[in-house]
Amino acid sequence: MQMVSGRTSKRGSMTTTQTDAADKAAALLTEIAENRSRAAFSEIFRLFAPKLQSYATRQFGNEQTAMDLVQETMTNVWHKAHLFKPDRGSPSTWIFTIARNIRFDLLRKNKKRKDDISADELWPILSEQNDSLDDGYALDHDVLMQEISHYYAKLPDAQRVVIEKIYIEGKSQQEVSDALGVPLGTIKSRTRLALKKLKELIVDND
Amino acid sequence: MIKSHPGEGLLYQYVSGDLSAAMTLVVGTHIDMCKTCRQTVCDIEQKLCEENLDTLVSIASSTMSKSQCDQMLEAIFASSACNKQVHQPNELLSLEGRRFTLPRTLAHNSHRIGEWSKLVGKLWRAPLTLDNGNQTNLIYMAPGAKVSEHTHKGLEATLVIDGIFNDEQSEYRDGDFILLDPSRTHTPETQNEDCLTLATLDAPMHFTSGISRLLNPFSHLFFR
Repeated sequence: MQMVSGRTSKRGSMTTTQTDAADKAAALLTEIAENRSRAAFSEIFRLFAPKLQSYATRQFGNEQTAMDLVQETMTNVWHKAHLFKPDRGSPSTWIFTIARNIRFDLLRKNKKRKDDISADELWPILSEQNDSLDDGYALDHDVLMQEISHYYAKLPDAQRVVIEKIYIEGKSQQEVSDALGVPLGTIKSRTRLALKKLKELIVDND
Repeated sequence: MIKSHPGEGLLYQYVSGDLSAAMTLVVGTHIDMCKTCRQTVCDIEQKLCEENLDTLVSIASSTMSKSQCDQMLEAIFASSACNKQVHQPNELLSLEGRRFTLPRTLAHNSHRIGEWSKLVGKLWRAPLTLDNGNQTNLIYMAPGAKVSEHTHKGLEATLVIDGIFNDEQSEYRDGDFILLDPSRTHTPETQNEDCLTLATLDAPMHFTSGISRLLNPFSHLFFR
């Protein structure tokens, strides 16, 4: 629900034209992601390449570097369209953050050594990892793992398996979902319920 | 409740990409932990996007010709998805019998965390290898640890990942971000709890062009 309201308020500050443009671009990105549509990409390209070129020329003052930024940014859009998340902002904001990352790396290109950190590691916007940021149920770190291990046995089997995979084997919720063949949402709710149960057990025994 | 945040000027520079890698990592990790700043960053992204992309001011001496466009499109369709083998994010950090969960940005860079070494006075340190010119460390303070009074040559940014520490000014908890300029001296210490922090001594990169210089009224604080 939160995501929906966030989106409304974001869109609320936009004009109708902007909203139409954003909806159109979002539809094109979906078309690219699902059908690898070259026609849809060509249209996105026509919409954004000139804007990116103008942005990059101002940033670099160098036409060739500017063209490199346009090409690298749009190449990412072509291959990573499936990573666009409509609830996190407009398509142009997403493309802008990709361009920002490319700019960060291009500005460091001359000084860069092989293992130096890159923009994608600093802003993991194009990460395939589905690491969500809603960590409202993060484990209370003051509780040592050793201390709670003997409470595991009291959890229902389905919840215990999830907790062990996440907190002992260090798997992500997505990986647990894949491994067990259970939807991600179910894994999340099992995690939440299990942690709640564990906390109750610990408090009761204190 | 996080009470100590990066200033808006710093968040602008974070979004526009004008901070050093080290400062970007520390600010980004704070943003992972802080809903308020995450929302502010969303707003800034939208604002910077509007100013830089949506409002097209064509200053390129020659805009892209049709043949240039066609050529680029062809090159893009011919390109293969470059799935640079990025390192698997690792959220778990074990140290001295404690287990910590690393926030997202830090987890994505867990392979950059070096060996832990014990310093004097209940302190441990592990360096993060990012690039040249910055000292970035994870610092673990056991309960009752004290860092001797010090000043800094450059700006020092400290982020509490987990735990509590205090200096003469205040007490800092999970997610608190503290920026100290070279004129300040301070004596961080822990009391009954331990504390894991991420800290960097920053030598900010100086860009002579760039949007943040125009937008950010506070840049004189960061570029000196």
